[in-house]
Amino acid sequence: MLPITPRGFKDVLPGEARWREAIVSATRTTLSLWGYAPIETPTLEVLEVLEQGGELSSTPFRLFDTDNELLVLRPDVTLQVARMTASRLSREDMPLRLRYVERVYREEEGLKALSRQFTQIGIEAIGLSGAEADAEVVLLAAEVLGAAGLTNFTLALGTVGVLRELLALCEASGAVDRDWSRAMLRAFHAGNLVAINQLSSAPGLPSRYAEVLRALPLINGKSEALDRVDRLVAPLGIRDGLEQLRATWAIIQACGLAERVTVDFSVVSAYDYYTGLVFEAYAPGLGKALGNGGRYDRMLEGFGISAPAAGFALGLETIMQALLNEDALLNRDAPGPAAAQNELRLVPLDDDNPAAAFIEAARLRAQGQAVMLGTREGER
Amino acid sequence: MSDTRPPQAPDASPLEVPLRATPATSPVAPDETQLELPLETPRETPSQPPLKIALPKGSLYADSVKLLARAGLDTAGLEKPGRQLMIATEGYQFFIVRPTDVPVFTSLGGVDCALCGYDSLAEQGLELVELVDLRFGACRFVVAEPEDARQRAEHSYQRRGVMRVATKYPAITQDYYDRIGVQVEIVKLHGNVELAPLSGLAERIVDITATGATLRENRLVVVDEVLASTARFVGNTASVRTDPRIRALARSLATLVR
Repeated sequence: MLPITPRGFKDVLPGEARWREAIVSATRTTLSLWGYAPIETPTLEVLEVLEQGGELSSTPFRLFDTDNELLVLRPDVTLQVARMTASRLSREDMPLRLRYVERVYREEEGLKALSRQFTQIGIEAIGLSGAEADAEVVLLAAEVLGAAGLTNFTLALGTVGVLRELLALCEASGAVDRDWSRAMLRAFHAGNLVAINQLSSAPGLPSRYAEVLRALPLINGKSEALDRVDRLVAPLGIRDGLEQLRATWAIIQACGLAERVTVDFSVVSAYDYYTGLVFEAYAPGLGKALGNGGRYDRMLEGFGISAPAAGFALGLETIMQALLNEDALLNRDAPGPAAAQNELRLVPLDDDNPAAAFIEAARLRAQGQAVMLGTREGER
Repeated sequence: MSDTRPPQAPDASPLEVPLRATPATSPVAPDETQLELPLETPRETPSQPPLKIALPKGSLYADSVKLLARAGLDTAGLEKPGRQLMIATEGYQFFIVRPTDVPVFTSLGGVDCALCGYDSLAEQGLELVELVDLRFGACRFVVAEPEDARQRAEHSYQRRGVMRVATKYPAITQDYYDRIGVQVEIVKLHGNVELAPLSGLAERIVDITATGATLRENRLVVVDEVLASTARFVGNTASVRTDPRIRALARSLATLVR
């Protein structure tokens, strides 16, 4: 049998590993400066337990252990943190600001050749609510991407609150049912404007609702986008979600990040656990988001405690791809493995007195110099 | 399921309802002026890289080029591309791609947006934004079986609890049979699917038909409709949300095909 890794998994050799480490370390510094404390979560979870918090994305790896539990390799850290918070921590510990760097295991149908293991850099802010908390999460995501070295990225933010309220109104009209709402949510998740349009033509659905449903996913801009949505939904009595987004936007704008951020009501994240703010980060030429986040105030209820929560997860490998694209665009040389090698000093071993080299190396290392012992002078 | 079918009756396109609302009181960002004007051709600003658009080779190609021309794009180089697969014009880069590869080119960011048959989108199931139903390239997915062996599939299903279906579209086929609750063995073929029931390889086929001529010539009759397909304008999530040119183009296309 060929000595290969499983499909979608790979080894990380020193050059790449150094780069990964440097990015992760820079982002950790930023997150620590905001008061986020590190946590680690288990690689495996009991499927049934995790599902109490919300719908899982694809879980390509499932296995039974000797206790006959159905386990999954974590597809997502957020649900794990919710479980952890509910079972290990209490309301007195809140607010909690947690950060993590963990691998997650996912698979996209149809792209069988691609990776099935991803590294997420993420945070969870538990017990914090309101526009200030939402703004903290968005601003921090932007700062982390900056710390990772990206210069050209944008964030698109929206709120699922407006859509959820609107769907509730549609159901209350009696023209459509729960299944229709689910199909509509799925169409928003999938970014399928054609399906949104078709579903909006459901017989009997009041046209004032249908028009808003058709319009919502097309609204994109700065604060005038919020005004536009307001004009659409205010006559229907929808307020709460939008007010908070407006306040969040005001903070983001005052912090000078309006350039990088757009309001986009087609952002309705792929997970059904979001309750308010949702956002995604993009870099040119990638096709996919660098990461996403938002508010999920009801997730912890699934695990038996009630607390608001928000957070984000950014993909390390996607960030690296975006950095490479930027390098190519700007004709910039990435700091390669050579730089790290050059900082390394060689202390030759003396056959007659081998200990001398160890003592000399220790002296240099104490000064912060990286030192490697050589067998002969000049040998590397 | 009705929600997977394109609309049969003409209905209002979503792409121009309230976006033409009166301009906001706050100062309008430069992009916005473009967004407010539905039929304006997206223009390139000097710093912007060209917009990358994929076009499907084959039956949808000519109509795709025609539509882009009507939207005001310079398509002169696309009309007779010869062997050239990438054509650059002022502000645009066109990629002529195999129809089944258009979704992956778009989803992974090889191109920003594309014209693509719904059949390919449904079969691949990749993450991308479906912006406009372009209404051309209409065809149907049907289940068909040989005219002179009409009982064979049913018989096999009753006796064996399963029937064998040949198709170029295993995902769409599986989805259809899951929906109607019939167990099938799917045989994936790469072309001339009609041969499968004629040779006895399979009892039925699931295939695309526009006029039904190929089916009739091979003495196959339609058993059921699986889904209807038309061409769509699609984009990847990141480009759609960050590049106003795609929205502007989507709006133009929606107005043209209405």
